[in-house]
Amino acid sequence: MSGFADFWAGRDLWREPMIAGVLAGAVLGYLGVFVVLKRMVFVSAALSEISGVGVAFAFYLGAVEGIDPHAHGAIPLLLEPTWFSLVFACLAAAVFSLRPGHRKLAPETIVGLGYIIASALVLAILNSPRIAQEAHAVGDILFGNAVVVPRSQIYALAAASLAALAVHLLFFKELVFVSYDPETAVVQGVGVFRYELLLNLATAVVISVGTRAVGALPVFAFTVIPAAAALMITERMRLTIVLSVTFGVVAAAVGYYASWVEQLPTGATMVVVASMFLVPGLVRLLRRNAV
Amino acid sequence: MDLIRLERAVIGYRTPLLPPLDLAVRSGTTLGVLGPNGAGKTTLLKSLLGLLPLISGRRVLPMGRPPRVGYVPQRDRLDMSWPLTVLDVVLMGRAHLLGPVKRYSAKDRAAAREALSEIGIGDLADRPVHALSGGQHQKVLIARAIAAEPELLVLDEPTSSMDPAAERMLLDLVERLKNAHRLSIVLVTHQLTAIPGFATEVALVDKDRDLFEVGPAEKMIDPHKLELLYGREVRVAQVGDRTVVVIGGPR
Repeated sequence: MSGFADFWAGRDLWREPMIAGVLAGAVLGYLGVFVVLKRMVFVSAALSEISGVGVAFAFYLGAVEGIDPHAHGAIPLLLEPTWFSLVFACLAAAVFSLRPGHRKLAPETIVGLGYIIASALVLAILNSPRIAQEAHAVGDILFGNAVVVPRSQIYALAAASLAALAVHLLFFKELVFVSYDPETAVVQGVGVFRYELLLNLATAVVISVGTRAVGALPVFAFTVIPAAAALMITERMRLTIVLSVTFGVVAAAVGYYASWVEQLPTGATMVVVASMFLVPGLVRLLRRNAV
Repeated sequence: MDLIRLERAVIGYRTPLLPPLDLAVRSGTTLGVLGPNGAGKTTLLKSLLGLLPLISGRRVLPMGRPPRVGYVPQRDRLDMSWPLTVLDVVLMGRAHLLGPVKRYSAKDRAAAREALSEIGIGDLADRPVHALSGGQHQKVLIARAIAAEPELLVLDEPTSSMDPAAERMLLDLVERLKNAHRLSIVLVTHQLTAIPGFATEVALVDKDRDLFEVGPAEKMIDPHKLELLYGREVRVAQVGDRTVVVIGGPR
């Protein structure tokens, strides 16, 4: 069988992960335009890591309570890792929305601190003797694998994406204004903290759910690469958004297909395909610098 | 009538920056806030606009509400990498008039284009902001402030990094807008040359010298006061109908 015929024949296996990847590529491609323009690309990595702390913490609490995470229906709703993941990510988003009153602490320092502390906490919790046996399974739940995606996670990702897009649809002009010129927005009575919080919460929810569905690496990549690629080749906001979403969707779909046919790691292949979209912008940059 | 008044106001971030001060922005006047770099001008401006709480004293709004403010920030604080057109930026001035959720209407777009035409850059509406010269960018920010239908136009260091001719052209433009829209103006600057012949009232500010003094321009554009503020020799001369200030060596 040819590569495509083989791929098509296996559609029952890849349908869910493909939908999850394409959905993540589209919505993160959109949100990424704001993330890149606001020069906060490491917020995405930090939020992934911090939502991971929530998942690991939920498992740790479950282990303390003696709950077997593999037993069907064993995890009480309050100890569901998804909630912990969302709550941790949203708290971090709220902290990232605060303007540091300290001159020496730039916003990226706070994001860096969040990332470092979260990484250490995840490692510490996963290597705790209480959940050491579950560490591999927890790792998959934490950072996804983009190969097998339960339908429940697609629903969660779709709901998170709809919520984030609704926020952007309703408050697009305010989100652009406070992101581009917060000083003037404040003077004109547009609540900067309120809209930055909304923007960061919308991003946090999608990153938190997306990380569990398709993995930390593709989520980080979809938040940065499509937007960066689009920004390098256009000077219009709407066209930037259209291109970034398109690049995210195509990178997810083509990346998944290539990983299936060539038997490559799925998340990493999606990232490599996304990187290809940087080429036109880089060529343009080289030409400009050559003059 | 006063638009905003500070009474016995102590300004600063936790620790007082200046002695208690009284300052009023009067309707139809141009208040120049003058001081060297790092003198506390921006802190004073933030306090005046209610963006920074006073340590003590009162901020009074005699109209019973804050005046509508058109704000022109320092140009170099804006990120030029945003893929926005000139029209996109000017439309931001309309955001607070619309309130949340509502989108910019045809009326808003017409008002933004009109503001651009009034400033003399109507032909730039569809150009990306990053492709503008410094002077053009400054005019776009003024157009945005005018599109906000302000009662008070606040300009923060609008002429920094401009040559004298460009500075004078910009100030003449602001003067024209003031008369056309019956605006009150607050101009914050460290450039002594921007104030004479433009401001009707002047506030001298320097936190390092514990100095705050405000009064009519003709009284404040005084060699002794300016020498005290800048620590250099200052000469004030009348050339035609213009007051000219020349800064010399250290006192």
